[in-house]
Amino acid sequence: MITPEQLKEVLKESVINLRFHARGGQGGVTASNLCVEAFYGYGVCQPKFGAERMGSPTESYVRLSANIDLVRNNEQVYAPHVVAVLDPSLLGEIDVVAGLAPGGWLIVNTVLDQISLQTIVKRKDINIATIDALNIAMEVLGRNITNTIILGAVIRVMPIFTMEALADAIMSRFKGSIAAKNVEAIKRAHEETCIFETPKAPEINFSVDTKVPWQQVSLGLPGYKEIDAAGVWYCDEDIIEYGSSQVNTGSWGEWDIIWDEEKCTDCTLCWYICPDFAIIREKGEDGLWHMKGIDQFHCKSCQNCLEVCPVSAISKKLKQGPAACAVPEE
Amino acid sequence: MSIEPMRIFFKEIKEPIKTTMIGNYAVAGGVTQTDPDVICAFPITPQTQSVEGLSDVVNQGRLKAAFVNVESELAAISYSTAACAAGARTFTATASQGYLLMTEALPMAVGWRIPLTMMISARAFNSPNLSIWNSWEYTQVNSELGWNIIVSENVQETYDAAILSVMISEDTLFPTIFVHDGFIISHSVQNLTLIPDETVRRMTPKKPRHVIDPSKPGTWGGIVTPDYFMEGRANLDEAKKPVLTQMKNAMAQFKSETGREYNLIETYNVVNSSKTCFVTMGSMSGNIISWMTKNKDVGLIKIRAFRPFPYEELRKIVEENGIEKLIILEKSDSLNGLLPPFSMTIASALYPLKTIFRSFIVGLGGRDVTRDEFDIAKMKMATVNDMKGPLYIYLGVRETKEKIHGVNL
Repeated sequence: MITPEQLKEVLKESVINLRFHARGGQGGVTASNLCVEAFYGYGVCQPKFGAERMGSPTESYVRLSANIDLVRNNEQVYAPHVVAVLDPSLLGEIDVVAGLAPGGWLIVNTVLDQISLQTIVKRKDINIATIDALNIAMEVLGRNITNTIILGAVIRVMPIFTMEALADAIMSRFKGSIAAKNVEAIKRAHEETCIFETPKAPEINFSVDTKVPWQQVSLGLPGYKEIDAAGVWYCDEDIIEYGSSQVNTGSWGEWDIIWDEEKCTDCTLCWYICPDFAIIREKGEDGLWHMKGIDQFHCKSCQNCLEVCPVSAISKKLKQGPAACAVPEE
Repeated sequence: MSIEPMRIFFKEIKEPIKTTMIGNYAVAGGVTQTDPDVICAFPITPQTQSVEGLSDVVNQGRLKAAFVNVESELAAISYSTAACAAGARTFTATASQGYLLMTEALPMAVGWRIPLTMMISARAFNSPNLSIWNSWEYTQVNSELGWNIIVSENVQETYDAAILSVMISEDTLFPTIFVHDGFIISHSVQNLTLIPDETVRRMTPKKPRHVIDPSKPGTWGGIVTPDYFMEGRANLDEAKKPVLTQMKNAMAQFKSETGREYNLIETYNVVNSSKTCFVTMGSMSGNIISWMTKNKDVGLIKIRAFRPFPYEELRKIVEENGIEKLIILEKSDSLNGLLPPFSMTIASALYPLKTIFRSFIVGLGGRDVTRDEFDIAKMKMATVNDMKGPLYIYLGVRETKEKIHGVNL
C-alpha cells in the first residue's frame, strides 16, 4: 500500500480521483464534500448532475491535487483510483467498478468477503477493502448513516489526508455531539477495515489517465442523422432507450407492493393515482379495464395505491436482500 | 437539519476564511455580504440554491432584507426592477426558460439605468428536448439588450462576481448579469476564500442615485413619438461607452482589497510555438488550463466580460502576441448557418485583423467537454490556413450509432 509520504509526492503533479456510490438520502455527496474539506491541497467535488431522489442510486466524484491547475479541470471523473460503495444493494444494480484504474481500490460497506465481491465485480486487477459500516453506525451513531464512516476505510487504504484533518472537517461541518460521535465512528472504521490486496494487481499509475477516448458521447445511441423527428416520441414506437422508462425506479423504495387479485374489483382508482404508471391494466373483451398487477421495475413504493384502494386489495411487504427489482409474489 | 450550508454567513466574517462550497451557495453568501434590501426570484434548476441560501440567511435574521416570493420569472424581474428603481439594492436570479419568460421586462432596467444584479446558472433552452443541464443560453438571447454580462469559471470567481456585479451595477448604473455554468459550477463543491464583511462594505457603499420618490412624482417610460425615441436610445449608448473602463476600475479596486486579480479578458500562454489560441468563457476555461499542462504549444484567451464586449482589448492581445489562429469553443449554437453567437461576437471584433479561426460547438445540454474535444480541435486547426468553407462544426456529437461527427476513431 502507498504511504502518506509517497502519496504526497505523487499529488504534487498528479490528480487522485474518487467516486462514491450511494442512494439518495444516504449522504454520498456529504462524504465526497468532506474529502475536499479535509484535503490539504485543492479539491473539487461534483455530484452526478441530475435529479436526485430519495432511494435512487447516486454518484459523486472527488478530484484532489496539490497542483491547482490540475484541479481547475471541470471534467467529470471517468477513471477513479478509489471507489467507495455506501450501500451494498447497489452492487447488483450498478457497475461500481466502471473505469476504476488498474491497481485501484474498491471499498464496500458490506459483510460479504472479498471472494464474493470479486465474483460480483469481475475484476482481478483491483484491490478490495470491506467495512461493516452499518454495524458501527448502529452502535456509535444509533442510526443507519454510513457516509462519514466509510471515509475511515478510504484513508486506511489511501492516506490522502490524516485522521486529524478529517476530524477537523467534521467538527466544522456538524454540530456538537453529532460531530464527536462521527469522529469516533470513523476511528473505529479505520481500525476495523478488512483489506484484501490482490496479489497480481498492478501499482496505480497516477500519471496516466485511463479514460476511454470519447466515452462521454455514449456510442450506440442514435446519432443526429438517425433521428426522424427530433424531440418527438410516439407511444407506439419501440422502447425509447434513453427515456425515463429505462430507469429502474423500482429499486428506490423500501417496500414491495402486493396486489390481491381475489379482492380487487377493477375500480382502477390505483391506476389514476399512481405517479409512475406502475399499475398494469388491460382492456378486456367486455370493453372494460382490468387490473393485471404491479410493474415492480418502476414501482418506487410511494404507497398512494394502498391509500386509495377501497377494498384493501393492495398491501406492502418490507423488501428482502438487495433491493433491486423484486419479482411480484404469485 | 444537521448541515446548514449557509451557517458560515450567519455571523460577521471578520477575516478571510478558506472554505469549500457549491457555486450557488457561494453566490448566496456573496450576495448576503453586499447587504441587499430586496431579494426576489422564482426557483428554476440549476439556480435554486442561490435563492434558497438567501432565504436561510434572511430567516436566521442576519440579513435584513425583504425576501419576496412571486409567481413567475416575469413577476420576479418586474418586481425587482421596480424595487431597485425605488432605491433598494436588489438581487434576482434565473436560468434558461425563466430567462426567456423575463424577456419582456429586461429592457426597462437598462432604459431606466437601474443597477439591478442578476445571477444566471446557465442551462439549455428546451428545444427540441427538455434539458436541465448546461448550455450558454445567455449568448443566444437577450445579450443585446444592454445588460452588463460577466462570466465566471469557478466557484471562487462566481462568489467574487456576486460582489463585483454590485460594484459594476452601481458604478455604471446599468443592470448586471453574472453567469456561471449550471451544475458544473452551481453544484460543484470547490475551495474558495471568503472576503471579510468589512471589506465588502467598503467596496459596495450605498451611494445616492436617481430613484422613484413619492415626494417628487413623475412618469417613468411614458410613450413618445418618433420625434424623440431615438435620442433616448443614443443617450443610453453614450452612457454605455465608459462601462468597460468602469468595470476595469471596479476590478482594480477588488484586487487592491482582496488580492485577487480579474480582467475583462484573461490570457494564458498566448505566446506559443503554434501561434494558436483557444477562445472561450466559463468553466471550460478550467478544463483547457488543466489540459494545457501537457499541451504547451497552444494558448488560451478567456473572456470574462461578455457584454459590453472588450473588442479593443481582444484586438490588442491578438496583435501584440502575434496570434495567427483562434479555436473558438462555445456551448451554444444558433442554426443560422453562419456562426454560433459567441463566435459571431469574436468574429466581428477581429474583423479588421483577418485572424483565421474556426468555431467548435461543444457540450450542449450538459454533455461533458473533455481533452478529447481539445485534442481534435487543435489537430483540425493545424491544417486550417484560410477562411474558406463552413466556419463551424459540432464536436462530440454522434452522427450515427457508431460514428462521432468529424472524428475518426
